[in-house]
Amino acid sequence: MNDYENAIEIKGVTKKYDGFTLDNISFDVPKGCIMGFIGQNGAGKTTTIRSLLHITDINSGEIRLLGLDHIKDEAAIKKRIAVVFDELPFHDVFNAKDMAKIFEGMYPEWDNVAYMQYIERFQLPLKKKIGQFSKGMKMKLQIACALSHNAELLVMDEATTGLDPVVRDEILHIFMEYLQNGERSILMSSHITSDLEKIADMVTFIDKGKILLSGYKDEIIEQHCILKCDQEKLQDIDSEDIVSIRTNNFGAEVMVNDRENASYKYSDCVIDPASLDDIMLYYVHRDTKEWS
Amino acid sequence: MKLYRSLIYRELKLTRKRCILMLILFLLLSLMLLLPIMIGGLSGDSEMEEDLLSIVWLASGIVALTGGFLAGTNNGLQKADINSGWKRYSFILPPTAKQQALSDLLTKLCYILFFGLLSVAFLMVCKIVSGINTAVEGIDPICRMLNIYLGAVCAVMFVDIAYSYIMMFANDKNQLKLISALAFVGAGAVLKVFGLFPRMNKTEKPAEDGTMISEEAINKFETFLSSGKTILCILAVFVVLCVLFFLAMWRSHERRES
Repeated sequence: MNDYENAIEIKGVTKKYDGFTLDNISFDVPKGCIMGFIGQNGAGKTTTIRSLLHITDINSGEIRLLGLDHIKDEAAIKKRIAVVFDELPFHDVFNAKDMAKIFEGMYPEWDNVAYMQYIERFQLPLKKKIGQFSKGMKMKLQIACALSHNAELLVMDEATTGLDPVVRDEILHIFMEYLQNGERSILMSSHITSDLEKIADMVTFIDKGKILLSGYKDEIIEQHCILKCDQEKLQDIDSEDIVSIRTNNFGAEVMVNDRENASYKYSDCVIDPASLDDIMLYYVHRDTKEWS
Repeated sequence: MKLYRSLIYRELKLTRKRCILMLILFLLLSLMLLLPIMIGGLSGDSEMEEDLLSIVWLASGIVALTGGFLAGTNNGLQKADINSGWKRYSFILPPTAKQQALSDLLTKLCYILFFGLLSVAFLMVCKIVSGINTAVEGIDPICRMLNIYLGAVCAVMFVDIAYSYIMMFANDKNQLKLISALAFVGAGAVLKVFGLFPRMNKTEKPAEDGTMISEEAINKFETFLSSGKTILCILAVFVVLCVLFFLAMWRSHERRES
């Protein structure tokens, strides 16, 4: 049952909308891994997630979840995955106790004890109507439901967006605990890169419906750097090394995608490490090349 | 079984408020209709027995009709699921489209059974408080009531199936608003077109003796309502509508966003 290498395999998936195309995207999420899925708003993160969950049909490509086909084996997959959306999809009239009753019959592996432990840990009221919950409480309830049926794959679409740093940190901590047995995987879409820098093992970066980067987070961060130089030195930088250039009154900040090589070639420039935020920012402007 | 219990629990809990409102309306109407029967029954005047019987028949017909309309009408579940985001969420839940559609149908049948039993209970109460034999010329009043009730359920269910089918195309609140507006305009247009047919728009024509409906027509209608064939036909239509409802809901749960 758990005999698969990649929790998610996406190969050449295309989904066309009016005015937007998810263009032949491919990436894998290995078992036991947290994959951060980053990109600016409208880049295609939600479309990718909806495609892999078969909320929407794809035009072409292949998607496998837990080693199974996402359409043919849909029924088997759904019992073994959990999804957290950016907004709570539960009705306001229910309370936390009602949700347990609803999910209990739906999931064969629903664990009421684990659910009650999460409810207690999150300090959520059992009998208060969901409509009276704060945004943070709603998200915690959704996470409690998602983590209480022993799901092997957790998919989150902007789940931490709009939450305060304390709640976000608490939730990220729980995800780390959830992954401890090495059999579970997480795909976490977000544009809050600081969260992903904390917990993600891998990162996939999508922009305008295309995958620009996908790989281990540390490798990606190590490969990229920012060169700080004046306009004169800028002319010496090989255009093939440049992702994009941010100009300012004092000179330019150039992102290059081969840090080791850059440290030899451009030793007279100041070399700063790049964060995921920087990488996202510079890649978004890769077409204009120079921006300020 | 556990799965259906969960699904039906969710649906009943969601529609509970609506059900309570409908129940209050139904009970108020029943009470209003029961009062003259009670007064007539308490007077004990044997000359009034025929009038009392007519009132019981009329009241039970009105109650059955109302109960049927309330039970068969759309329970607002689809709309609530689209508004809350549950419809999208349900795509990632283990119950299949078929299982969800069956639970929708079972919930509807729960309401139909509930209001059906209430209607029959009303007739029983009428019988007790009036103290008269409610059967006329061998016509079973329960059979007649059942026909009226199921007839009303079928009529409303037919509209509900069409409405549910249209609702299927909405994925979120905005689309729901647009589709509701279009459905409203569409229904208006259909009624307008029907009005253009010569037999559909004629004004009321009184019977020869000046009454709105002749006694003969009433008798014919009563015989029709109380016949065994009518029960069979209405039951057959009801079963067909249940199947259609199930298919519409199945399609609705199966349909993915474009």
